[in-house]
Amino acid sequence: MSARIAAAGFAVAGLAISAYLTVLHYAGGTPVCAIADGCETVQQSAYAELAGVPVALLGLAGYGAVLATLVREGEGWRTATAFLALAGFGFSCWLTYVEIVRLDAICIWCVASAACMTALAALSVARLLRAPVTAM
Amino acid sequence: MSTHATKRELREQRRADRLAAEAAAARRSRVLRLLAAAGLAAVLAAVAAVASSSGGAEPAARPPSVGSGGFRGIPERAGVLGNPDAPLTITEYADLQCPVCAAAARDTLPVVVRDYVRTGEAKLELRTLQFIGPDSERAARFAAGAEEQGRLWPFVEAFYAAQGQENSGYVTDEFLDGVARAAGVDAQAAAGVAGGARAQQRLNRANADARRLGIDSTPTFTIARGDGRPKLLRSWDAATLTAALDAEAAR
Repeated sequence: MSARIAAAGFAVAGLAISAYLTVLHYAGGTPVCAIADGCETVQQSAYAELAGVPVALLGLAGYGAVLATLVREGEGWRTATAFLALAGFGFSCWLTYVEIVRLDAICIWCVASAACMTALAALSVARLLRAPVTAM
Repeated sequence: MSTHATKRELREQRRADRLAAEAAAARRSRVLRLLAAAGLAAVLAAVAAVASSSGGAEPAARPPSVGSGGFRGIPERAGVLGNPDAPLTITEYADLQCPVCAAAARDTLPVVVRDYVRTGEAKLELRTLQFIGPDSERAARFAAGAEEQGRLWPFVEAFYAAQGQENSGYVTDEFLDGVARAAGVDAQAAAGVAGGARAQQRLNRANADARRLGIDSTPTFTIARGDGRPKLLRSWDAATLTAALDAEAAR
């Protein structure tokens, strides 16, 4: 399986998770959570929004943008995928830190999304570095 | 013939060298682009983290205030709100730093207090746990002082209204004084109790009860009839509580 197809798979998974959490955010529902009330705690914390925008919605936009860059081939698009995935990975690291240290609660959906973004970052960097070099 | 072949070979060699140099330059350029993208991504993530962090700290800046006044006129003795002889006992296990506990106090308790506590069907108790961090313990100890003044529930309501970022060290003497003022609590007397053995006893009791019932998250509510074994509720929303209270009342 090519890195591009694998990355697209992780982006679709992340998109689905973000869409679920975004819908719940606006509907006021509680995520199905395997770990006590962790999801509820995280989703209702002040960290669930960034400048008034739900973090889940930012994730939805991020995964959508990653998918869009994966549609096209080329050095510029591969670099754009890596940039988006690395930015998402960095923010996911921060959110995971917040869950563990500041909120003392784990949201399994957020962990799954962070795992998708980590895989996307690794795959997109590998894809960029391994692509054939065309002489200028 | 030999001279001609050498010239061609030289030409091809020069071409191969040029292509190799261009490929190496392209690789260097790619690595530089990747590093630039990674740096920019790190800056973007850091900016988002800082914005997210300041969003979390925002509640600490709000002045303490008691909003609903939903407890007004209801007797409180030793932290028990409502008629001490009420047949049902609702016990909430909360950590004062927990944002969901604040949400429960805002969304669930007013309904329960209005429909069950004020009517004398149930009384309401609180066990303040301290699992989130040192600020939780300071808050719980001070709450014990408010309890001795018969002002536990107004104190808790005022605390939630001013709740700050977890474990940021926001539960200072100044902060507690402000919350106490808003709740009508004598801050000096409460602080005196907070450092003593009576506060420690309350904390120990809350922790022991939580352990006995297997409570590991907040807010958690239990409902008991008389001296019966408390029934643990798995959700904290008003609908769950009222359904459980109705079921217990109908038994």
